[in-house]
Amino acid sequence: MAIAKAERLMNLALCLLGTRRPLSKRELRGSIEAYLEAGSDDSFNRMFERDKDDLRELGLVIETVENLDGDVGYLARRDSNRLPAVTLDAEEAAALGLAAKVWQQARLAGAASGALQKLRAAGLPEEVDPYEPHSALEPRIPVHEAAFEPLMLACRDRRPVVFDYRKANAARPEARHVEPWALECWRGHWYLAGWDRDRGAERLFRLSRITGKVRSRAGKFTAEVPDVVTVRETVASWAGEIADRSAKLKLRAGAGYPLRAKATAVRELGDGWDELEIPYGHGMDAWLVEFGPDVVVLEPAELRADVVDRLRAVAKG
Amino acid sequence: MAANAIDQTRRMLSLVTYLRERPGARIADVARAFGISEDELISDLDVLPLCGTSFRGGDLLDIDTDGERIWWHNPAALSAEAAAPLRLAADEATALLVAARAVATLPGLREGDREALLRATAKLEAAAGETAGASDRLSVTFESEGGVFAEVDRAISERRRLWVRYYSPARDELTEREVDPIRLFALGHTYMEAWCYRSEARRTFRLDRVAEIRILDEPAAPPELELRDLSEALVQPSADDPEVVVEVGPGGRWVAEYYPHDSAEELPDGGLRITLRTPDPASLRRLALRLGPDGRITAPEDLARSARSAAVEALAAYEASGGQGA
Repeated sequence: MAIAKAERLMNLALCLLGTRRPLSKRELRGSIEAYLEAGSDDSFNRMFERDKDDLRELGLVIETVENLDGDVGYLARRDSNRLPAVTLDAEEAAALGLAAKVWQQARLAGAASGALQKLRAAGLPEEVDPYEPHSALEPRIPVHEAAFEPLMLACRDRRPVVFDYRKANAARPEARHVEPWALECWRGHWYLAGWDRDRGAERLFRLSRITGKVRSRAGKFTAEVPDVVTVRETVASWAGEIADRSAKLKLRAGAGYPLRAKATAVRELGDGWDELEIPYGHGMDAWLVEFGPDVVVLEPAELRADVVDRLRAVAKG
Repeated sequence: MAANAIDQTRRMLSLVTYLRERPGARIADVARAFGISEDELISDLDVLPLCGTSFRGGDLLDIDTDGERIWWHNPAALSAEAAAPLRLAADEATALLVAARAVATLPGLREGDREALLRATAKLEAAAGETAGASDRLSVTFESEGGVFAEVDRAISERRRLWVRYYSPARDELTEREVDPIRLFALGHTYMEAWCYRSEARRTFRLDRVAEIRILDEPAAPPELELRDLSEALVQPSADDPEVVVEVGPGGRWVAEYYPHDSAEELPDGGLRITLRTPDPASLRRLALRLGPDGRITAPEDLARSARSAAVEALAAYEASGGQGA
């Protein structure tokens, strides 16, 4: 039976951490049973390279050192791999315990637990069990989009990417070449901010509209990454959260609570109707149509016309 | 169970550090400290004796367990330096920092909890050093109605019943309910899970739909309940629910992003034919109205008809109030 990968990785990590001088590939192969069983040199070399990458993902700093004879050796120096002293009190430990549970994405959930385990090994207080629910609060970060992980890695490593993207109103997706800057989650949906190479401008992408695979591109970023990348403000304005206009509506008494909650003034008209003043932004027409015959737009005329157009489309069926 | 070799390796490296300091540690305590099941810990303990700085010459870690305690018979097989706590990887620092910052922004969170999160975040940033640098490339905002959140949180900790006026968009109505709150969770929006006396059932309430809230004097006494699994979608239509078919143009594709559905078939014009199930098809009249020119409900027929007649009635109201505009 093949030796399990975790056993092989663990042995490589211990060899590299345990040595004071660089170990050659040949020495490592002689010390780790899984490598002896690897068969050909080629398959050993491929396995070794992959394993080193995996350990680096786990945070291990592995140095490659060339000796006088030109032989390459490897080691993980203690000083570059040690966690600096960190002293957390019981409350802080509980807070991190809560934070470690919020990711619903396998890679980050694993990384968060791994971080907590490293802190645990370094003496994080145990009086409180950080895995117990903290008060009765359970925040979760949902990640449903397949594009999330490749984009997260591309943002981390500052690698350009290309993906097919379908804009909200587009019939077909289109390839977009992007230098990805940052990802942000708002109301349960993920957005990417980055430099759109084809358009030569900053753009925002909604991850659920990425179709197909995210592929990495060779080379570096060409545009400068801004110090502050704003995502939420832009998305909020698309969602009509930023009100820059004001409307006057007639609303049936008792109906449309969310409209009342946003209204700046409500006046009873007496005939089973109320009159509301309400600030609004993008997308108000579609929202108002949801209330059907319980709302009538009085002003402004453009909003009234947009709502009527939508109602006509629905009435036609 | 070795579900993921990377996660298991990461865990075993920390275990080695942890166990070296604690001879005779109890299985139950270690599993709890590491947030894993005892079975997972035992599967790690099966692997560790096969690991060492060399498989020749007795360098393997001699770690075993009697089923209750864990013993490491040759701790010298690994120097204290080689077993020192390991620095955080970039993903580890990012995962913990982004989550802690996100939770700290929750409106309504207790001040003490927020301060502990911020202190822990600052210490973690310092310990992670430049590894923490990439963590600002990910961010998450939790939204909640701060006042409602704080009241629910207080009711839960004092075990008191709540009175709420709650808005249901499906019916466009406000209802008054008495509920025993069980927990708060955030998943895009912030929710309260509670036992609802009006419906005699467990219900999930979105906090931004709570119009009014009051803590009552009665103690909360929710029946023993199985809490919902937060890794699953909040809306779980059942196979017996009636089927609704929505045909949308390219401008209505968002429906597939917001509504859990059985199928979404591509249409030649770039639109979709979406089939979904709901216990209450009438609640989708709002959707039919909202879609306007971007789509329509094609089945069931009475739902489609009710949307059309709502639109006709609304148009009549516009006619009556001074013409239909442009």
